[in-house]
Amino acid sequence: MKIRSVLAIMAALVLCVFSAGTALAQNGVTDTEIHIGQWGPQTGPAAPWGAVARGTGVLFDMVNAQGGIHGRKIVYHMFDDGYNPAKTMAGVKELQESSTGIFAWASGVGTAPGLAVKEYLASRQVPWVGPASGSPHWSEPPQRNLFGVYPLYFLEAKTLTRYAVERMGKKRVAIMYQNDDYGKNGVDGAREELASHGLELVEAVPVELTDTDLRSHLLRLRRANADCVLLWLSPTHAVMSVGTAKAMNFTPQFMSTSTCSDFPLMIHISKGLWEGVITASFGELPTSGSPLMLEYRKAFDQFAAREERWGVFFTAGMGFVEPMVQALRNAGRDLTRERFIEEMEKIQNFQGILGNISFKPFDANDPSSRQGQYEVFLIECLANGDARRLTGWIDAR
Amino acid sequence: MDRKRSYYEDVALFDSKAKLFWFFVLMAFLVAYPHIVPSNSYIYMANLMAINIIVVLGLNLLVGFTGQISLGHAGFFCVGAYATITLMIHAGLPFIVALPAAALISALLGFLLGLPALRLEGPYLSIATLGFGISITKVIGKMQFFGGRQGLHAPELTIGSWNLDTDLDFYYLAVGLTVLLTIAARNIVKTRVGRAFIAIREDDIAAQTTGVNLTYYKTLAFALSAFYTGLAGGLFAFVLRFIEPEMFTLLMSILFLAMVVVGGLGSIMGSITGAVLITWLDLQLRHILTIPYIGDWLRTLSQSWFSITGVSNIQYIVLGTIVVLIMVFEPLGLYGLWIRAKKYWKTWPF
Amino acid sequence: MIDFIQMLLSGVAVGSSYALMGLAMVLIYKTSEVVNFAQGEMALVSVFMTYLVLAFHGWPFHLAFPAALIFSFFLGCFLEWAVLRRAKTPNILSMIIITIGIEMILLGLVSWKFGADPKTLPFPIGPYDAFLVGDLFISHLEIMTLVLALVIMVSLFLFLRYTRFGMAMKATQQNPVAARLMGIRVNRILMVTWGISAGVGGIAGLLIAPTVMSPFMMWDPMLKGFAGAVLGGMTSLPGAVAGAYIVGVVENLFGGYVSTEFKSVVAFVIIVVVLCVKPSGLLARHYVKKV
Repeated sequence: MKIRSVLAIMAALVLCVFSAGTALAQNGVTDTEIHIGQWGPQTGPAAPWGAVARGTGVLFDMVNAQGGIHGRKIVYHMFDDGYNPAKTMAGVKELQESSTGIFAWASGVGTAPGLAVKEYLASRQVPWVGPASGSPHWSEPPQRNLFGVYPLYFLEAKTLTRYAVERMGKKRVAIMYQNDDYGKNGVDGAREELASHGLELVEAVPVELTDTDLRSHLLRLRRANADCVLLWLSPTHAVMSVGTAKAMNFTPQFMSTSTCSDFPLMIHISKGLWEGVITASFGELPTSGSPLMLEYRKAFDQFAAREERWGVFFTAGMGFVEPMVQALRNAGRDLTRERFIEEMEKIQNFQGILGNISFKPFDANDPSSRQGQYEVFLIECLANGDARRLTGWIDAR
Repeated sequence: MDRKRSYYEDVALFDSKAKLFWFFVLMAFLVAYPHIVPSNSYIYMANLMAINIIVVLGLNLLVGFTGQISLGHAGFFCVGAYATITLMIHAGLPFIVALPAAALISALLGFLLGLPALRLEGPYLSIATLGFGISITKVIGKMQFFGGRQGLHAPELTIGSWNLDTDLDFYYLAVGLTVLLTIAARNIVKTRVGRAFIAIREDDIAAQTTGVNLTYYKTLAFALSAFYTGLAGGLFAFVLRFIEPEMFTLLMSILFLAMVVVGGLGSIMGSITGAVLITWLDLQLRHILTIPYIGDWLRTLSQSWFSITGVSNIQYIVLGTIVVLIMVFEPLGLYGLWIRAKKYWKTWPF
Repeated sequence: MIDFIQMLLSGVAVGSSYALMGLAMVLIYKTSEVVNFAQGEMALVSVFMTYLVLAFHGWPFHLAFPAALIFSFFLGCFLEWAVLRRAKTPNILSMIIITIGIEMILLGLVSWKFGADPKTLPFPIGPYDAFLVGDLFISHLEIMTLVLALVIMVSLFLFLRYTRFGMAMKATQQNPVAARLMGIRVNRILMVTWGISAGVGGIAGLLIAPTVMSPFMMWDPMLKGFAGAVLGGMTSLPGAVAGAYIVGVVENLFGGYVSTEFKSVVAFVIIVVVLCVKPSGLLARHYVKKV
């Protein structure tokens, strides 16, 4: 008797707990709302990249403040995955299968978390625009629902190397790279470009994420007598490399990726040593005075948290989703995922704060049907943290 | 009631009818669970929980029962995941063979790590295991054979003609294995082996004088623990269907240890509750700002004293506080609380 | 040859900050048999507090750094008094876990307050200014770290050996009950030990922060310092310093000649090998537990 009543209470409790949500997953669009999701690390060692996801949020706030898109507001679901793919997957499933669902995924920081959820999103044909990493996995092979924006790390490496060899006359190019997908793509790009000039990398030194002492790495580069060093590293490691090189009186031309192109930050944490470093950039700089950037800056002042920094990661997060907002606008009131994907495919020569973005109708053999931007330009860091533009937009393919 | 009259009563799986009853209730609940939850993501969460339960059972055999600390279980987890996928892709083994084989490989590594551990204790052992956990991921990440840092994608998962392509299918596999392994763990600790483990934990020299073969049982504890963890790793590879060496960090090892401690050192039920609770917290604490009252309070606190951009880090604080509080006030963890509650109610109302 | 000497030099330079962390951990382990995994994060809190007063409140260096050390001292005392002392079953395992818990709390607090953007601590000496002799180099900051590590080691050694307080610490370690019967306030000894240790760790943190400063900056130095301390024997101060230098030098030689990829793990491999031969480390006496 007693057991039975306990059981009944338990069953009732269980029902209460689980009947809270409704069983049907929707496609994320209601009469007044469009639900868009994103993951980005806010905790853990990768947390500096979390600014990308927060930047996206401010852009959406701005769009909403301007009246939304055809009468609908964007509801933005950003969650912290700590750069842990298992948590990314858990969060994506939770949001995607919630009662409202997610219409499309914006950006999403990191290669490993993105790779973990790529197939899941593909199997449901949920659109996903602008993964925040320049990995080739997004468009090779192309996938119908996935639109890459970030120009490949590979191309950044090619562009920088070409500039070093052709314009600066460097012969002994070396690279220091983070020992992962990001770094390896940089090595591949530099190798390929050098091969076309009949050169080779004089040294390629891997750096582990946890390394806190780069002396032996730099010693290897000095021994190889490199006159140009590409730094395919995180900002902290890149600064440490430049500093250590200075301490050992080793002064090659340093070049680095768009990841390290936040010059005010780099000058600050390197205490001025970042001056003269050349980096690639895939979008207008936060300090540029273009009208669009000024408008975003105003939105930043209005919506961002007080201690937020107006940096490259933050504006990149806005830039990655510009084509998405454009396609949502073009799709009109009658919004479905199919319609949205069609509109994305129609985007040609789109110009926001990033470079020129174009997509094509889906072609399984053509990565460029799903990789929007290929161009980068090169900038040089000045002593006060400003940038001097060295080249126009370059498509290094 | 609780007095045992014979040895067989002590080792019996269910020592009372009530326990048997509750066991079947639990089983029924586990079978029904995926059908009563509102969405698939709860099943995914349950899968992660099941996997963590297996790890924690294994880790508890080592830490809770044998008293040997390990800060390197993410390493075994990693080995299990990689070995399973590699055996399937390169050796063409079916999953059903590859998974136990991977667990055995992991157990072998556990045995090898157990050898130096024979002479080590306390800080010495913790740094040795920690070093193992960090090194193994580096070694795997270096080898192109294992996909290097680009990671590996898992192949199709089939058992006979059963194609496990949804979370639901996988749920039954993972939960089935978890139940089996739980019963196995319980049997291990209730029998000769388990008593030897506990004797070693209480005092290894005293254990030796009473005839416990230290070499054998210590390495066995490591191997068994690694076997469980490796098996869980093999399952984990198929939850995500993508693995990458940097996923298996020191933080992961620490979380595993936290699960053991929170649940209760040296308790099977504790392993389960600890794994379930910490997994749930780890996945759900990011919603902390949406809890009524507390969320608002945390938000104002962040704005006036801390920063709103770093507010997600509260999850570390909550997790750390739970671990500290449990260790300080109730070293047996949730299981200890349960025992206390039981004792209190037994004599109620006196 | 020049390269070899340079690697030795770099190894000693980086070993110094490991040595400071190792010393801090050994101090605590020596008196209370607690392996303090929160050591790095205790230093982290001090570093970020220093950053706060330097960068936002405009304190001068000569005020900020002593204040940081005093803060570290009280933080250490507080943690011992508020948490460690309250533990119900103070065995090695539960103490390790408590310190891991403290570590998570402190890490969370710092990241919550300061966000994740990389920073650098303002410092009177430029972190990358160096002495150059031919091709050899060593930075001013490294020399400072080296000197401080040695000075702190020697003074701690003298302190423990020749002062009443040091004797009391030793007595506490060997037999807390007997020490208490002899009139030593064991609790207070433990508390102050934690304070001193936190101070030493704080110095290490302040010397690392001019080059790297982020919430995760102390993980690697703490682990390496711990590794060095274990290598030298957890109960010996000179052992900890020697172990830390061995770790630093081996790392650099390995990184220079063999592979930079495994540089960060080679220390752990050596430790396992050494411990197999000498289970209590290089310089500590092997201590056999009596039943």
